[in-house]
Amino acid sequence: MHQHSPMKILAPAAAIPKISRRALLGGFAVAGASLALTGCGKEKGFAASALPNGQLGRQLNVYSWGDYEDPDNISDFQDSTGVRVQLDSFGSNEELIAKLAATRGTSGYDIVVPTGLYIPQMVANSLLQPLDHSRMPNMANLDPTYTNQVWDPGNKHSIPKAWGTTGYVYDTNVIKDELASWQDFMTAAETTASGKTAVLEDSWEVVAIYLAAHNIDMNSTDPAALDAAEEYLVGTLAKNIRAFNSNVATSGIPQGTFALMQAFNGDARQGMLTASDPERWKFVFPTPTANLWMDNWSLAAGAQHPDAAYAFINHMMTPEAALREVEYIGYHTGIKELKEAALANEMELPELVFPPQDVLDRMQAAVLNDGQERRVQILNRMQAKAGA
Amino acid sequence: MRKISRRGAGVAALSFPSWAYLVFFFIIPVGLVLWYSFGYKPDLFTAHSNATLSLDRYFEAMDPTFLSTFINTLQIAGLGTLICLLIGIPFAYWMAVKVPAKWRGLLVALVLVPFWTNFLVRTLGWQIMLAPEGFVSEALQNIGLIGGPIEILYTRAAVQLGVVYNYLPLMILPLFVSLDRAGVSLREASADLGANRVRTMLQVTLPLAAPGIISGCLLVFIPLMGDYITASVLGGAQGNMVGQLVANQFNSAQNWALGSAMAVMLMVFILLTVAIVGAVYLIVRAILRFNRRVLIEEPAS
Amino acid sequence: MSASVLRDPAEDQSAAQALVPVPRHNKRRDPVAVAMTVFGVLVFCFLFLPILVIFIYSFNTGRLLAAWEGFGFDAYINAAANQVIRGSVMTSLQAALGTAVLSTILGTMGGLALARATYKAKWAAILTGLLALTLVTPEIVDAISILPWFVSLGTDFGFTPINNGMVRLVVAHTVMSIAVVTFIVRARMQGTDMTLEEAAADLYATPWNRFFQITLPIAAPGILAGALMSFTLSLDNTTVSSFVQVPGNTPWPVYIFSSLKVSLRPEIAAVSTIMLLLTLVALAVVALVLRRFGESSTDIAKTIAGA
Repeated sequence: MHQHSPMKILAPAAAIPKISRRALLGGFAVAGASLALTGCGKEKGFAASALPNGQLGRQLNVYSWGDYEDPDNISDFQDSTGVRVQLDSFGSNEELIAKLAATRGTSGYDIVVPTGLYIPQMVANSLLQPLDHSRMPNMANLDPTYTNQVWDPGNKHSIPKAWGTTGYVYDTNVIKDELASWQDFMTAAETTASGKTAVLEDSWEVVAIYLAAHNIDMNSTDPAALDAAEEYLVGTLAKNIRAFNSNVATSGIPQGTFALMQAFNGDARQGMLTASDPERWKFVFPTPTANLWMDNWSLAAGAQHPDAAYAFINHMMTPEAALREVEYIGYHTGIKELKEAALANEMELPELVFPPQDVLDRMQAAVLNDGQERRVQILNRMQAKAGA
Repeated sequence: MRKISRRGAGVAALSFPSWAYLVFFFIIPVGLVLWYSFGYKPDLFTAHSNATLSLDRYFEAMDPTFLSTFINTLQIAGLGTLICLLIGIPFAYWMAVKVPAKWRGLLVALVLVPFWTNFLVRTLGWQIMLAPEGFVSEALQNIGLIGGPIEILYTRAAVQLGVVYNYLPLMILPLFVSLDRAGVSLREASADLGANRVRTMLQVTLPLAAPGIISGCLLVFIPLMGDYITASVLGGAQGNMVGQLVANQFNSAQNWALGSAMAVMLMVFILLTVAIVGAVYLIVRAILRFNRRVLIEEPAS
Repeated sequence: MSASVLRDPAEDQSAAQALVPVPRHNKRRDPVAVAMTVFGVLVFCFLFLPILVIFIYSFNTGRLLAAWEGFGFDAYINAAANQVIRGSVMTSLQAALGTAVLSTILGTMGGLALARATYKAKWAAILTGLLALTLVTPEIVDAISILPWFVSLGTDFGFTPINNGMVRLVVAHTVMSIAVVTFIVRARMQGTDMTLEEAAADLYATPWNRFFQITLPIAAPGILAGALMSFTLSLDNTTVSSFVQVPGNTPWPVYIFSSLKVSLRPEIAAVSTIMLLLTLVALAVVALVLRRFGESSTDIAKTIAGA
């Protein structure tokens, strides 16, 4: 370090700034601190949503699950309207809600895809906008079986996008037994597939594995049941898990990274269609019961491109688009007579998309209740334990 | 005296924009994190509230399950730094000393190339290589080195490998710079005085390179403790590190208070480790110096 | 390399041999040197292997990046045709440029101030400590702290420019790289002599003239190196960007990161290869410029690494 001797210059004294630097610094600190403190106490408002004005605009931002839209449908929409669609993805409803709640309307997303059961709470917390049905005439194509659900009567905040169920898929090269129930899943995870198992990143789904296997109501809020679930899941199952990923089947199956994956039926189908040896993989609709869920199109609060959003959702409800969707994502999109059209079109692996009636009958829909926070905690602990 | 302070005032004025920027966009946000860590999560949908202040979040963060992640991270970071050091020193020595001067610039540039490649992309390269059904796995199986597909991906070993790889250039560069400075003449002098190469290395070169070793270790250890990307790409569930834990609290669990507490704990862990290692180093150095004192006798007058 | 001074080497050697037996190594085949060279080459292979893999897999015609199907340029063509990918690359470049400009301005001023500061000036120590703190803080802590602050500024305080994605990226990236630029410029300026500035002042040069005609040219290599560092750091930044980004202005690494959990396509490898080449070209240009300023290559490395 070179030490300088004090500089002696012949410059006039007026060249030296007069402000005392300490005063200025102090001023900054005070200003900053007061800003911060007022920020803490202020009312947490939301950014305003743009109103539809008939102009489609150039951009649309969609926040959806991974690989959940047929790319051909997207490019079709882009070509016909000139709107550039940016598709970002999240891995769990918690992530979606966290993003929307944290950004309070400035997330930049227009369309979001929440699962049905979360919608009432999202609406109560002003995360979603009400929908203007007059801008989506293709709603007439929706099958009434899927509209007007208990969590959104009258479809005020959501349009059905896809419904499906949860099960698991396994590699028959590694697991030689025939698996059929959730108990089989747990046993396999602890033995033959230990260290090569993946579960969903969804707290409800993971806890449901234990509850369903023990014939307890999957929506239970009984603290004793949840305690038992935590003890097993964190204490025994967690260390065998290699990944928590809601979309693992789409790439996990072709790459063979896991032997046992809890997966949604459509994702497993996508993975099997991409794999070079699909016969090696088996998807199971587990007994005694499983989740029957529905994902929906919704408009986020603070959306800046509402016209494009309505146009997009409307576009996805045409029969042609719906057919392409079901063939790509592997889920029924709620359009009338879609199953017949898909079967007539010789869709691959239809048994994964349209489970038999007896399977459908034993499914149960998830409900968001007081036990949710506990479930989230259990998942967090599992994730921490798995890495230990 | 007056002249010095006047000059000081003129010079300090230049730094005001930096001050303002740092205060506004670094001090305040990080201060907010500290503030949040004393709060709590009121209900499922609200991220945070500071209505009641308490240290409960810290106790929650010290919960055995989370604490094991902290310990895990410390292990990965410590081992990673050590491995980087063990690889880095011989390599930097080779580059600074053994390689002819005209190649040195080129070699430095070659080391900088991975440094300038996107961190995430480099890690993806490893994800491809470590895939159980990838080419490396197939090749090793064909040669017969291993019995089945490699099962490293999504385990702690993969994360360990990944972090060593990603942070190695950060270790090599300061080492190279300080070894380069350490000077040929001193090593020669040591050889002239009869020291063999090992002794020269231990008693001359390494101590002179100490500043480089220290800065290399710091440059590797500190970001490594907070690493988020390598663990996400290569770690799966089992490579869980604190960075992911914190991100998780903000990204899905939406528990800002707990996440902030964990973030503060992370900083504390880092500072503590650095302080402890620093203290140990200073003590060891003092002992060594004491043992190596050479008493120069007074010349007989 | 021994530097021979004014003495006869032969005389030296025999004298040394007579006094103290020094182990002589055959300079031509020194096993240790050979071993070290082999080790060095191995380490280089290790460093370049994943980059090579990405480069090769960018020619994968398959649908998934990691599953090799065939050789072809499909990925490059698809990447060029994909609007979202093009958009994110543009965003990354624009944000990097903005960051380079902002952090160079702030960092140069700060670096000059620190270099010229009186020894043991308190404000200098605090500023240095503050900058060091930004370097020491893990990126994840920065990320989780700056997003709520941005949101607060945008919604609670009505400071709407902060809701713009590009603004958020530039501001956040600058926080990370301001320390690097400052330290590089400071290191560069500390080695130089103040007498040039004093001479200029004695010759009645105004402070502005002094700055532009003396100080800046001297600091130029450091400023250039700092600008390059902040450009690359911004291009590379993933964690903070993934938290603060607004869709429509998604930087390239965040695009990759969010594809991670879904499925990685060969387009990612293709674009990454191109970005790497771009960075290398920028590096080469800067190195050339620095070389013209009279720096040796090791000095350049030291300037960049010595931060």
